[in-house]
Amino acid sequence: MSENFEPNVVAFLCNWCSYAGADLAGTSRTEYPPNLNVIRVMCSGRVNPMFVVNALQQGADGILISGCHPGDCHYMEGNFFARRRFALMKELLDFVGVDQRRFNMSWVSASEGAKWKDVVGKVVHSLKEAGPFEEFPRNKIDW
Amino acid sequence: MKLNKDKLADFIATLPGKKVYGPKKSGETLKYAPVTGAADLCLTAANTTVPPKSVVFPQTETLLRFELGTTDIKTPGQESETVLLGVRPCDARAMTIVDNVFSWGVEDPYYLERRAKITLVGLACLEPCANCFCTSVGGGPASKEGLDVLMTDLGDSYLLDVLTEKGENLCQSASGLLINATGEDQEAAEKLHEKAASQISRHTDPAGIPAKLPHLWESLLWDTVSASCLGCGICTYLCPTCHCFDMQDETEGSESRRCRTWDSCMFSEYTLHASGHNPRPTRRERTRNRINHKYSYFVDKFNVIACVGCGRCINLCPVNIDLLDILSKVGEEAR
Amino acid sequence: MIDLEKLRDLARETISRDDVKYLIGWKPGTHGFRISPHFVSNPEETAELIFSPLCSNNLATYLTLTEKRPVPRGEQPDTRKVALMVKGCDSRAVLQQLTEQGITKDSVYVIGCPCEGVIDIKKVEGKYPGILDQVEARWENGKISLYLPSGKVEMARDDIVAEKCLTCRYPNPVIADVSLREEVEVKGNNTFDDVKKMEAKSTQEKWAFWQGKFNSCIRCYACRNVCPMCYCEECILDKTNPTWIQRSVNISENTSFQLARAFHLAGRCVECGECERVCPVNIPLSHLNRKLVKEVMDKFGFEPGVDPEAKPLLVGYRPNDKEDFIL
Repeated sequence: MSENFEPNVVAFLCNWCSYAGADLAGTSRTEYPPNLNVIRVMCSGRVNPMFVVNALQQGADGILISGCHPGDCHYMEGNFFARRRFALMKELLDFVGVDQRRFNMSWVSASEGAKWKDVVGKVVHSLKEAGPFEEFPRNKIDW
Repeated sequence: MKLNKDKLADFIATLPGKKVYGPKKSGETLKYAPVTGAADLCLTAANTTVPPKSVVFPQTETLLRFELGTTDIKTPGQESETVLLGVRPCDARAMTIVDNVFSWGVEDPYYLERRAKITLVGLACLEPCANCFCTSVGGGPASKEGLDVLMTDLGDSYLLDVLTEKGENLCQSASGLLINATGEDQEAAEKLHEKAASQISRHTDPAGIPAKLPHLWESLLWDTVSASCLGCGICTYLCPTCHCFDMQDETEGSESRRCRTWDSCMFSEYTLHASGHNPRPTRRERTRNRINHKYSYFVDKFNVIACVGCGRCINLCPVNIDLLDILSKVGEEAR
Repeated sequence: MIDLEKLRDLARETISRDDVKYLIGWKPGTHGFRISPHFVSNPEETAELIFSPLCSNNLATYLTLTEKRPVPRGEQPDTRKVALMVKGCDSRAVLQQLTEQGITKDSVYVIGCPCEGVIDIKKVEGKYPGILDQVEARWENGKISLYLPSGKVEMARDDIVAEKCLTCRYPNPVIADVSLREEVEVKGNNTFDDVKKMEAKSTQEKWAFWQGKFNSCIRCYACRNVCPMCYCEECILDKTNPTWIQRSVNISENTSFQLARAFHLAGRCVECGECERVCPVNIPLSHLNRKLVKEVMDKFGFEPGVDPEAKPLLVGYRPNDKEDFIL
């Protein structure tokens, strides 16, 4: 794998906590890897597990879903549902042979700019080791 | 002419520049795939699950490509010469039946170009499967229709019956490997063919069916036979004469393509209109349509029943909807 | 031993009820080992009904598969019940459909048929190919007897039944309005050995295995159509607005298809094994679905289709659900 490999990460951030937390990291001029493509969703509970599969198909090397801490969800329960759903999705992806490092989930609150930097750093670092996603992206299909 | 079995690998090697497809095992499923040598080929008694129509009419095919922001449209490149080895007479007959559709009115350049460049080397069936009924619908285990060469397995060699100019050309390039067949070889082959035909145990008499079907439009027979249907695509996708397709535009980033994919009249959205109306709203109408299409409408248009008796639909229908059972019910139904 | 007379009497009684529209059971198929689902609308048609080790079809799928035709003006829709013959696994599907409110209790009359295991049709047709005469099979003396044209053959149960039967914990229907016979012994237990074996492989080995299988998929949708839990009017798998999964058939779309279906069955799959039985290209779908059955059991202690009071898994949560996978 080339040393210049820069993974493409698609990140689903909940509007109220994680997106704000990432914003805080930005306004604090924190430096962290620029590999994330952020998609803002209102709640981590809005994230459909098929988004993960679809993102992988479209060329993402890894996914990150980040939401409010359990108990702090702006919509009370959204992140609880997400936690259940993605506990299962992660296992399914692993069972089929998708590297575990490609799916990540975190709780980052609006004040945790510093944590955000850590989370992104961890995710990008492990993806650099995992390499490009080659199992079933659409761009590998010979049309 | 004859080809000794131990020369089969060499025979395949004489076909350079041509793509060679033959029955190959993918896990436990037999289907047509590119073969590089005789070891890959699986010329067993049973026919493939997926018929060779998958080579001449692929399940997914790119019709044209374009890039966002440009006005070029790229069409697929030239087709290459292809040889299909080990095709059963029923599947070859099916291709001649499907040819009617793709050259009717508008000539389909994709299908026809590919078809023109395919040479069909058939293999006579010596052990028909339980549900084969090719002899009832105008075919047979050694039928030559649609084939360029017909091979018969004589034990340690294959007898080659060259049927067309394409077949002739194919055998020319392998002439060093072929030996002369004797009159005895021919007789042995004929005996095998007759034996195979006599082993076919399931029969139907389609004579009156095309004329009768239009009168059975409102019959309750269709409710009975379609009640257990799941509405899946197994019978249609695996039928060698089925040919319906869908076209979709697919975009990935800035590249886009228009592709053609197999479709099935048994799917509920097949005739779903944009308005929400569906003229075939339930499996009753769709089953009625399928039988009518194969045994009545196709006969009206092209004078041939669009069924070659390969038996795949009967073997693979998960709920035992049996075409021969339906045809016998049609026969018994009062007009 | 199944008392066929008792079965047919029971069916006649059921179909004669005022509140039953029709009855769905099994009858001998058109050839060999095949079985046909039998839709009975009057007492005479009950004569063909059977219940034997060949009856692998899960009839619960018809509760949600049958299309509702537009009702002519002035007519009321027929709201009578559908009577359904179910084995243990089939009954779990009915119960799960009820807890999900996919069907209502007053729309179905369940005839429970305790089952000692059904024959794997691919195994038996592989062993005895080419038989056209209808074959009978019976559960006898703890074994399975096949009445072939050439004579009776006794087989050890575990040698010939479907894989799902080896781990079956619910041979007796979990829901029934009436039962065909006495309860049978539970013979299986779920240690998920098959799933654990796959889990132990490396990531590359797993993908090599599944890639081979998904490449064979012809997207016939038989697995989805036969599944009693797949009954959305507009299914994500073939929707076009938006198009989640493109119509073209290749490893990318096929993998997406299989993952989508497996995930949509999380906490809902009742392990009836029909998906694997119907697949024309032998994809081990049950194996894929059982991974999530195991996870749901391990992580949430949940088993779909056994508790009528249970809420569906993914509409609930516990504040202390495990989150060791979260960064």
